[in-house]
Amino acid sequence: MSDMPITPPVDRIDYRRRQKIGRIVQRLVILISAILLTAYVLAPVSWLVSSAFQTETEIVSIPPHWIPEHPTLRNFEAIFTAGNDEPVTYETRSGTDPAAGDFIPSTAENLLPSMANSLIVATLVVILNLLVGVPAAYAIAKIRFWGRNASVYFILITRVIPDIALVVPFFLVIRKLGMLDTLGSLVITYLAITVPFTVFILIQYFEGLPDELDKAARVDGCSRFQALIKVFLPLSMPSLVAVVLFTFLTSWNEFLLALMFTQTSASQTLPILLASFTSDFTVSFSFLNAAGVLAVVPPVIVAIVFERYIVSGLTAGAVKG
Amino acid sequence: MLFLAPVMAVLGAVAVFPIAYSLYISFFSMKLTRPNRTPFVGLKNYTDLLADEAFWGAVWRTVSFSLVSVTAIALIALLVSLLLNQEFRGRRILSTILLVPWAIPYVANALMWKWIYDSSYGALNGLLYQLDFIDKYMVWLGDQDKTLFLIANAFVWKEVPLATILLLVSLKSIPSDIYSAARVDGATVWQRFVHVTLPAMKPGFLLVMIYETMMAIRHFDLFFILTEGGPGSASHVLSWHIYVETFRNLSFGSGAAMSYVLAIATFALSYLFIRTLGRRI
Repeated sequence: MSDMPITPPVDRIDYRRRQKIGRIVQRLVILISAILLTAYVLAPVSWLVSSAFQTETEIVSIPPHWIPEHPTLRNFEAIFTAGNDEPVTYETRSGTDPAAGDFIPSTAENLLPSMANSLIVATLVVILNLLVGVPAAYAIAKIRFWGRNASVYFILITRVIPDIALVVPFFLVIRKLGMLDTLGSLVITYLAITVPFTVFILIQYFEGLPDELDKAARVDGCSRFQALIKVFLPLSMPSLVAVVLFTFLTSWNEFLLALMFTQTSASQTLPILLASFTSDFTVSFSFLNAAGVLAVVPPVIVAIVFERYIVSGLTAGAVKG
Repeated sequence: MLFLAPVMAVLGAVAVFPIAYSLYISFFSMKLTRPNRTPFVGLKNYTDLLADEAFWGAVWRTVSFSLVSVTAIALIALLVSLLLNQEFRGRRILSTILLVPWAIPYVANALMWKWIYDSSYGALNGLLYQLDFIDKYMVWLGDQDKTLFLIANAFVWKEVPLATILLLVSLKSIPSDIYSAARVDGATVWQRFVHVTLPAMKPGFLLVMIYETMMAIRHFDLFFILTEGGPGSASHVLSWHIYVETFRNLSFGSGAAMSYVLAIATFALSYLFIRTLGRRI
């Protein structure tokens, strides 16, 4: 017994200590990267938000005030009261804030209507997407028919057409139809950039639902249409939510096509109005940032509330393994 | 198929027809300044393009913008997805926060970065000044050598979340026993990363590269708001070139020809994308 080699206990302690140190280092690396990532993502947005609550006097300080010293709601007030009684202009505002360059564009009163326009367009696009996309996805996922693969590839190909390649023909057709500067022109053209994605996500989801459901429903005397409405739709809520979200956000955020087809406040969407503010060098910075915040808040809230659906939807559009 | 009819009708009207019509237009000299005469010119719009130095300049800038952006997106998204693949407290909150840039409209993103880069009161100047990296405020977007990188930075910031989500899918698909096996075989952290993690992420990377390149090549919004192609022609990319040719010079024929070139380039690139996605259905 005594001459058996004894494992020196030092080794084990060393191993344990190394493991412990390794774990601490790992924790530290995770902590630091998490902080860095949060800063990277949130710093630009925080700066935008902070600026929106500063007065024009404060916003032009050098170096900048990272946190407003005298937070104000006046920039938002200017947006929400614009066009109510008296137009908010350089004169009416400079009376209260003597700082130079405190200029609210006369188009400020179009901001809320443009949000309404964005909302209307996005809602209509969502509805049309569902009407068109759901039956198509069901057919491709659950019905074996001649030309099924061709349809899949056709839809995928339409998904990669760059929007800018559609601008010239769209413009000419829409002008010919007399639809320039109407919300209808946006609803129609936005279908091109939303429908392929919608169908694609829905196909993926429907494929995951068992074929037996379809067969059982049909044996019970359902038509294809009834099977879709009564059996599949209630089961596909998560994917429908994802589709609604993507379609809504895409329409709400779209800029290029809206830039081509809208001219007046009758059809201008929020991004168009924002862009018009940025190209005007006289517009007050604080007002501009407040308008920016208004454009950012709705989609960000939607994204945070529906995070789970969005991530699973985006993942469905990805390649597994 | 009755179920497919609506989608085919819609896509036929808003995708196939415009693309075909665009090809047709590109064979004509169509200038809105001269609305009553649109002579057929055959391939002239295309041959003119080949000889047009501004066009090739725009192509080159588009390529460099895309290369820089997509590389940065892939690298940052790789790091972020490795982080989010770990178990730690606050991971859920972090992945929710990550969706913020993704949700922000591009126009608001552009407005935000324009304000950050502002030469008189911007945050970039303020920060670098306070940290003593610069001794006077700089005109960032006015610097020809920096413009494209600064725009790329704004683009990258917004695209990283989506790329991260796509990469996380591949990461999650790696069975954990492969790691255990590698550890038993004595593989170090780095060896496990190089020989297990990276190969498994290949499909994810491929998808991110192709998708983000497609997005970068066609990107327009940031260029419109941040620089309008300037200073000089430093950020005069292809999408901006098409916009100027079509809606400022009102030359629809050559504009259509250019956008056709862009569409074909995209198709060539997305061939793989379509194949991979199509095979799964």
